[in-house]
Amino acid sequence: MARTFKRKGSHFVARLDEDERKVVVGLLEQTHQLLAPEPYEPTGDPFEDLVARLGLPRLYDPGQDPAHDVPAVPRDPALDRLLPSAHRDDPELAAEFRRLTEHGLREGKAANLAMAIEALLDSDGDKVRLDHEQAQAMVIALTDVRLLLGERLGLRTDEDADAFQDRLEAAADNDPHFHLAAYYDFMTWLQESLTQALMS
Amino acid sequence: MSIAPADLSRTEIAEDLSLDRPWITLVWNDPVNLMSYVTYVFQTYFGYSREKAEKLMLDVHQKGRAVVSNGPREKMERDTEALQGYGLWATLQRDD
Repeated sequence: MARTFKRKGSHFVARLDEDERKVVVGLLEQTHQLLAPEPYEPTGDPFEDLVARLGLPRLYDPGQDPAHDVPAVPRDPALDRLLPSAHRDDPELAAEFRRLTEHGLREGKAANLAMAIEALLDSDGDKVRLDHEQAQAMVIALTDVRLLLGERLGLRTDEDADAFQDRLEAAADNDPHFHLAAYYDFMTWLQESLTQALMS
Repeated sequence: MSIAPADLSRTEIAEDLSLDRPWITLVWNDPVNLMSYVTYVFQTYFGYSREKAEKLMLDVHQKGRAVVSNGPREKMERDTEALQGYGLWATLQRDD
């Protein structure tokens, strides 16, 4: 049975059994897979390719209409929740911001998720012990997992979230959304305890 | 080590800031982010006091959004990028 994160001196300690760790690692891995920057594909233009290899924003992204923030190629709606539009009324500025920041944001999020996965795989049996840096990476990684699950569960407003809580309490094991909903609830519980421990 | 004409440079910087000033960073309400976590991010990233961070978090929760910082556009771009890194729904705009 899981025990929430508590601050112990300079560390943050929780107990998660093997199945619970597998669930958390699995969700962190799925989120990592979605967020890790897409592998670089050569364009044939030597300068553009050099820029891409250096991980710098491209001058022109063939997948994106420069006048619109939403990329022309279809992509997972969860990505738009994890990397939201930065300007509400100005698609040109939003596209510019995305061009300059998306690669770095995806790299940063992927690095946090990787650190959180490693920390769980390195657990001492059921005892998960994080230093401050790992705890910060974990609390951000859990946010990204919950944003992804929340999008899959259709949680877009506070009313959705309230209705979701009612459904979860009444849900039966055979409800197709039940497992996803139970994972979301478990991630929420874990993140709340780690946040409280970080703030204590 | 040389000493800069402190008063002069401070005046120039202040004028530059006022020219670039009208930009703000906003955080929008969303059903996923925890109230405790949003407070934690405002304290950690901006260095705001617990009280100020909680007030801003409640504004986001109850009014749907809050202005969390203001200043030159480049600084608001950095704030927005950092807050999105934390998973908050952050945007920037000119303050008009």
